[in-house]
Amino acid sequence: MVTKRYKPLLAVMVAFVLAIFMAGTRADAAQKPNYIISTDAAYAPFDFQDKNNQYVGIDMDILKEVAKRNNFTYTLKPMSFNAAAQMVANGQADGIIAGMMINDARKQVYDVSDPYYQSGVAWITKPNSKIKSLSDLKGKTVALKTGTAAANYGASLKDKYGFKVKYFNDTDTMYNDVVNGNTAATFEDYPVIQYAIKNGMKLEVRNPKDLGNGGGVGFFVKKGENALLLQQFNTTLAEMKKDGTYDKIIDKYLNSSQKTFVGEASDNNSMWGILKSNKSAFWKGLVETTKLTVTGIILASLWGLLLGLMGTAQSKFWRGLSTTIIYAFRGLPLMVLAFFIYIGLPGVIGMKIPAFTAGLLTLILNEGAYTGAFVRGGFDSVNVGQMEAARSLGLSHRQAMWKVIVPQGLKMTVPSFVNQFIITLKDTSILSAIGILELTQTGTLIVARNSQGFRVWGIIAIIYLVVITLLTWFSNWVEKKIN
Amino acid sequence: MSEEKKVKVHVDKVNKSYGDNHVLRDISLDVMDNEVVVMIGPSGSGKSTFLRMLNLLEKPDSGVIDVDGHDILDPKTNINKVRENIGMVFQNFNLFNNYTVLENITLAPVQLGKMTKAEAEEKAKELLETVGLPDKANVSVNSLSGGQKQRVAIARALAMNPDIMLFDEPTSALDPEMVGDVLEVMKRLAKTGMTMVIVTHEMGFAKQVANRVVFFESGKIQESGTPEQIFTAPKNERLQTFLSKVMHA
Repeated sequence: MVTKRYKPLLAVMVAFVLAIFMAGTRADAAQKPNYIISTDAAYAPFDFQDKNNQYVGIDMDILKEVAKRNNFTYTLKPMSFNAAAQMVANGQADGIIAGMMINDARKQVYDVSDPYYQSGVAWITKPNSKIKSLSDLKGKTVALKTGTAAANYGASLKDKYGFKVKYFNDTDTMYNDVVNGNTAATFEDYPVIQYAIKNGMKLEVRNPKDLGNGGGVGFFVKKGENALLLQQFNTTLAEMKKDGTYDKIIDKYLNSSQKTFVGEASDNNSMWGILKSNKSAFWKGLVETTKLTVTGIILASLWGLLLGLMGTAQSKFWRGLSTTIIYAFRGLPLMVLAFFIYIGLPGVIGMKIPAFTAGLLTLILNEGAYTGAFVRGGFDSVNVGQMEAARSLGLSHRQAMWKVIVPQGLKMTVPSFVNQFIITLKDTSILSAIGILELTQTGTLIVARNSQGFRVWGIIAIIYLVVITLLTWFSNWVEKKIN
Repeated sequence: MSEEKKVKVHVDKVNKSYGDNHVLRDISLDVMDNEVVVMIGPSGSGKSTFLRMLNLLEKPDSGVIDVDGHDILDPKTNINKVRENIGMVFQNFNLFNNYTVLENITLAPVQLGKMTKAEAEEKAKELLETVGLPDKANVSVNSLSGGQKQRVAIARALAMNPDIMLFDEPTSALDPEMVGDVLEVMKRLAKTGMTMVIVTHEMGFAKQVANRVVFFESGKIQESGTPEQIFTAPKNERLQTFLSKVMHA
């Protein structure tokens, strides 16, 4: 009896989820092959955004040239380095170009191109630091970036020199940690730190003449796949070296002045200047955050309502299902869930899931579980006599729920909904981890370019506060209307 | 034969336990058409549990309950249909807090397709007149006093045109000065020939209105009879003890 009435609702939900998945599998009618290439969103000079918010860098220029000469197109997926590498390993992207060092461990998982740049690991401190040699690091903490070859190199010296390590997901946060004196030193690929120092990062390389673990940087594809793409890359790279294109690219990034990519210094000296010169990036980030928040709030609320209704159904099966779903998704950290859906799931279901869809699904499942819990609590808190009175008049369980219990229960949950809306807005920032270009990720990219951490994060914080204030006003208005 | 009254409620050997607590033991009782049965007894004697079984708010562990010719314990019986004909009035009123007085009364008839909204509203106004609250149609139920709430609850139950009314201690939650109004409404209802089963502690009311009084104690019917038999010549020792405590005279 009861199960019958939840079936249509459930069907709608399932159809919706399927639709989301389908959206991720848009068929490409174009005849040119299209590859999905992942990259590190912030790893200058290899990959970064310029002042016009275009992805540029040594990698980007080489990739563009290879695509042009071999007549293919590509979809770029910029995100954190670790996630970007995982995407290729799991077959969600066809290749990764991210200033990635070639080593034996990686050759187990990937097929790799000829090296397109020779690099090595530098170790870096604040200028004029008392730390002159690696032995001075004894007892100190060193900042490393998760999953990079430089980090592996640094970590391998840990015991020998007696330092501790602290891991970061993002290069600029890591640099600033050293600049701020939280950590004593960091390990980084030499060209990357060179570029950052040239652009005003107040750090100093300690071993320019004696780079560690020197080696090549390459383009990686999943082992045993995309052999043609790899071969085209190698052929074109050789041609570019011969005809001078390659040298031009390297020169462009390692010998150009800062403002070519970053903009005039005056633009970066004040919050107002940064806001002005990056207004389109901030705006786009805000729009993306708003899109995620609004659709997330609506769909998570619907899903939560359904879970709440299931949790008060007469049938033990639906109640058990609701409890299980709420338990599972409330227990999972949002970021784990996001990685699971975006990076883990596609490998299993053999279907690519766009980042926005994965992010939205993450929000629906996580926030929906919290919503389901307090909605069920709201329904349960309605006096049992209300249900008895309704049933004794001859109303069915369903009619009693919709006409008597749900309206009273929901009214009690309004403050919890408002609270959940605000949490949802804040939680969208966690989705920057899977490369969604929302407000937080926008901030990361801008800082990667101009190294103005304090000012950029200040601006981002203010934008969040403004949006949260607006959301709170709106919610209070709705709350008043309901009462 | 035509003089013989119809059995409206037939209960045979009903048992109910909550864990080790055996609250109803082999209860059998028939209620006739137009009869007013009043159930008395100490708290915890099982009389409210018994009443709530008659419309299946509580489920017995064993036994037979037949209402209006429907075996309500048969899973195939549509209990919602049977309940449409059994009005229930609760100790704590249980008016729907999200509706006005009028909406409380019209909700079920309209939802269940018994009446159009206009018909239901007209009927509701008549009923409010009958229970002495003609001017309260559009107020929120939270603004009413206890006695007013209970009269609205009676009107709500009557709106479905039931042929049996169950009252579960309808005056126990009321201030003393409110009790009279509610009992008055119930007396008038009894005079119209409504079949009523009432759990109450109002002995005076029981004397006046009941066709039959049933004394519950320890999950059993210890004695039943006319008000006269019960109140003036009680045979059962426990009934005598109970009456000596509640009659103060």
